[in-house]
Amino acid sequence: MSDFLTVFFLLTGSGLILIGAIGAVRMPDLILRMHATTKAGALGVGLMTVATAVYFLDIGVTVRALSILAFVVLTAPIAAHVIGRAAYFTGAPLWERTLKDELGQNLDRRGHYLRSGLEEQDRLPNRDRPAE
Amino acid sequence: MTLFIWNILLAFVWVALSGNFTGSGFLAGFIFGYLVLAFVSRMSGDMTGYTRKIPQVIGFTLFYLWELIRSNMRVAYEVLTPTHYMRPGVIGLPLMTQSDAAVTLLANLISMTPGTLSIDVSNDNRMLYIHAMHIDDEDALRADLKDLERRVIELLS
Amino acid sequence: MIEWAVVATLLILALALVLTTARLFIGPSLADRVVALELIALIAVGIMLAYAIQVDRPAFMDVALVLALTAFMAAVGFARLLERGGSSDE
Repeated sequence: MSDFLTVFFLLTGSGLILIGAIGAVRMPDLILRMHATTKAGALGVGLMTVATAVYFLDIGVTVRALSILAFVVLTAPIAAHVIGRAAYFTGAPLWERTLKDELGQNLDRRGHYLRSGLEEQDRLPNRDRPAE
Repeated sequence: MTLFIWNILLAFVWVALSGNFTGSGFLAGFIFGYLVLAFVSRMSGDMTGYTRKIPQVIGFTLFYLWELIRSNMRVAYEVLTPTHYMRPGVIGLPLMTQSDAAVTLLANLISMTPGTLSIDVSNDNRMLYIHAMHIDDEDALRADLKDLERRVIELLS
Repeated sequence: MIEWAVVATLLILALALVLTTARLFIGPSLADRVVALELIALIAVGIMLAYAIQVDRPAFMDVALVLALTAFMAAVGFARLLERGGSSDE
């Protein structure tokens, strides 16, 4: 049973990492590539740590496996956010089929300031506020 | 928080009384201590934060894992089929809460849910900018994200 | 059964490594290369884990843990560099 689970987790985990790598090659722009590498990479490594924990069946190994799992799953979205933000600020192009971009118009690149687009609405007196 | 300390003390009592000095013995003591505390706090009528929190945290963790698996199936599908079916876009999501903890947790969760990746928060914490793979049905997407935000606020309140 | 599965895992990961390295060389901007490097670090963590199973030594998991930690730091540092200066297209 333990053997079977180890094999299952190893193969699904590495398969997911391979899917992430294929995505990194095939996807048309930076942020779409990050969709693939962040999610597939994090869960793939997570499944492989579960495989090692199941294989060794030892409390020390399990603790280390869980810490790797927690660390990878918690930091993957943060790394994606940091890189995506930096790329966006330096003007990385989006795919030409991208339908809309509500971020670009609110961004002040030079001052590193990002507006919410809600400031105007606040400044209006209450009676002038457009009906919801 | 004091209830948490009581819980750890009860776990130690369990370990000492049962003579089972291992990690699993401590875990068992912790679980039994938790059940006792939950029972007592229900008897005395005040459902304090701690005993209500743990089922919420467990439910939330399961929900997170489920979302992670779903998002991976979605990404695998997108990667392995021709890319022309994607309709990506960046949308702004107005936030109901401005607390840093809630916004951080929400942004991380959104990055892990299917087809969305949070890029940045505006400087006044009121708008979260999200890159989505499919914005054909923008209203449904926004409704999903609002639902997630409600869960996060409930968890942290 | 496990021996064969580990060999298959290592082969799959090697293929993933080749693909990601291709993106590392193509990647038009520096940010693309950082994304590729991050994925390479994750693949290396996976290889360490598979190798720990192959040689039956849990000590390799410590290497995997440290690699995961430093990869995240590297990504954050690169992003900082990108945002606060440095050319965007090389």
